[in-house]
Amino acid sequence: MENDELESEELDEFESDETNREIVVPGEVLTEDVEHFNPGRGTLLNKDKTKIIALNIGLKQIKKNYINVIPLRGFYTPRPGDKVIALVIDKNPVKYKCDINAKDTAILKPKNTVRRGKIRGSRNMEAEEFEVGDILVAKIISADRLNMPELTLVGKYLGKKANGIVISIDPPKIPRVIGRSGSMIKLLKNLTKSNIFVTQNGRIWIRGENIAYERLLIDAIKKIENEAHTVGLTDRMSQYIESEKQKRGIK
Amino acid sequence: MPLIINDIYPEKLFREDGKRLDGREKNELRPIKMEVGVISNADGSAYLEWGNNKIYAAVYGPREVHPHHLAKPDRGILRVFYRMATFSVFERKRPAPGRREKEISMIITDCLEPVLFLELYPGTAFEVFIEVMDADGGTRCASTTVAALALADAGVPMRSLVSSVAVGKIDGQLVTDLSGIEDKAGDADLPCAITWFNEELSLLQFDGDMSIEELNESLLNARNALDQIHQLQLTALKSKYTSILEEVEGGED
Amino acid sequence: MMNIKRVISTIEKNYIAENLKKGERIDGRGLWDYRKIDISHDIIKSAEGSAEVKLGETDIITGIKYEVGEPFPDLPDEGVCTIMAELLPLASPLFERGPPDEQSIELARVVDRGIRHADCIQTKKLCIKENEAVYIIFVDMFVMNYAGNLIDAGGISALTALISSRIPEGVMKDGNLEWTGNYLNGKDLVKELPLIMTFGKIGDIIFLDPNLPEELVCEGRISISVTKDKIVSIQKSGVATFSIEEIQGLIKRSMELGREIRNKLDLWQYKVDK
Repeated sequence: MENDELESEELDEFESDETNREIVVPGEVLTEDVEHFNPGRGTLLNKDKTKIIALNIGLKQIKKNYINVIPLRGFYTPRPGDKVIALVIDKNPVKYKCDINAKDTAILKPKNTVRRGKIRGSRNMEAEEFEVGDILVAKIISADRLNMPELTLVGKYLGKKANGIVISIDPPKIPRVIGRSGSMIKLLKNLTKSNIFVTQNGRIWIRGENIAYERLLIDAIKKIENEAHTVGLTDRMSQYIESEKQKRGIK
Repeated sequence: MPLIINDIYPEKLFREDGKRLDGREKNELRPIKMEVGVISNADGSAYLEWGNNKIYAAVYGPREVHPHHLAKPDRGILRVFYRMATFSVFERKRPAPGRREKEISMIITDCLEPVLFLELYPGTAFEVFIEVMDADGGTRCASTTVAALALADAGVPMRSLVSSVAVGKIDGQLVTDLSGIEDKAGDADLPCAITWFNEELSLLQFDGDMSIEELNESLLNARNALDQIHQLQLTALKSKYTSILEEVEGGED
Repeated sequence: MMNIKRVISTIEKNYIAENLKKGERIDGRGLWDYRKIDISHDIIKSAEGSAEVKLGETDIITGIKYEVGEPFPDLPDEGVCTIMAELLPLASPLFERGPPDEQSIELARVVDRGIRHADCIQTKKLCIKENEAVYIIFVDMFVMNYAGNLIDAGGISALTALISSRIPEGVMKDGNLEWTGNYLNGKDLVKELPLIMTFGKIGDIIFLDPNLPEELVCEGRISISVTKDKIVSIQKSGVATFSIEEIQGLIKRSMELGREIRNKLDLWQYKVDK
């Protein structure tokens, strides 16, 4: 399982050089120089057009002539193309309802699941059936403000998880678990000998060699979540995991 | 039926030395302590100690609306539930929510709504649960203040924070931040809240009697106190992160 | 935000069950370990007694209030103690607003039964005048964060609140209630300290102090209240069934665990002087 597709430019914002380590809160004035700066993500120009203010608790970022706030807290908003870990919470013959950690329940229609049959291409191929409680790695194919998001299981790395566990963190901190060009996720995988799959809705599927590794991995991910706004996190995590391995006597 | 030791009001609300009964100057706030992220299950939460008031606030949302008919197709809704614990007051409060709690819930909802972008979340609700565990005057203001913190902690986009305080008159003199006893035995009580993005009042009630001049001066007193409370809110929100920054980066820089 | 815990995933259920079979739990505890217990007392100024107990991330605040009223006709010289629990919607997305549901009633009832059958509250000391006036003590538990096993946390917080309480002493003089200026405290009101221990059962595996995921996948639970030398109440809930040998084993274990925890917690330290 890889997370290559997640490593888009946007996901590196935490590590980017333009990101100031200054923590800002809603209503805080980011600049009064509206001549040279434009309000970007997580910001607002005030009514009199004299100040740019922050809308979220987050890190102030100046990118060219835009001022953004990289949020430190917040909820997941589904976007087409996102991979999500979904939990089946209801089913009927025409659709599955899935919890994707968003304000709306997502829909999975049988036509968007993979068909399997004894003979490839034969007519009596049947859609794979899922049960309430199943964990699916899915992709969002449509999401807008008014309709329930729709999922598909057709695609690379998508499908039902047969084992492992899922943990949740603040969705805005997911980019840090991935790291620049996937550096953090590689480090976690290598040092804890575990399989990890990270999705944008704040959920992480993990499966380690044994429970000791899984415990260490969970603690490491919680540490990343907690320290998401700090610099030098990848190096610090590497030291942390090595020293914890010694402390806990894990080889 | 319950016979209880009487809650005796003091005759004077100022001491010989001109200070208030709890030793404060006229425009001095009680000690205030704020912390965010105190309830791990909530999407956002905050805790506030304001004098003897002890108040928790938790935010859940955006989430589905129950009952469903309250949902609005074109915008989200904000629901605030202000409750007092049975043991938070002198005489045990009945467990079921009373008229006072419903009224205060409504006032706080209306006060907080202007800072939110509810139009971005159609069909859903933000729910804010406020639990007053210990009460000593000014709970609606303290609750508004702590609810705004919990919303910010949840990462809900907001135009600004909201701060709230009560000013009033006791023994004929104008004071800031009335304690429980000053509220009960005083002459006038003026709870108010400010939305900082436009610096206008979003909660305003008044009970008692004051001259026009006194009311004008009280509003200025409130404005000064609100600035102080806003600063405390900013510090509380940031310190959750800055304390970690100091911890991990302090030695390296 | 929807919570994944409303429906517990099948893989998590299997994961918990398989590890329990090996004697492992994801939080690192053994089968017979409690999570960390933190107690603070006398935290609410308006209450006559109060305590906050954290069991892992489960958090319960309990306060004591009193009224003076008439005794029940069949117990003319005994005061009354009522125990209530509220699962605040602030504490979990699983809790809803509204009147007490089964879970909160069970919490209050199980804590109440432990206390009632243990010679814990000295109801005769709560009598001001026979047939006329007794204290009615309210023990109100408020769940502030729900992370599994409310019953054990609730039991400790109710006891600590009672021990920390300080209630004005009244006497009847010519048909009127007068306050002496003295107080009754925990030492007057409380004698035995019943501790409740809750065990979860998944498949054939039984373990102490279920955390939230464990509680949600449990087929059943059993809560056993013990004093120093006696069993005072048992509550089995959920669809799991227990063999007689299992019950006997749990009773023996509860007595041992009870002694250990009683010493460790040393609840009498939370007494507030008169």
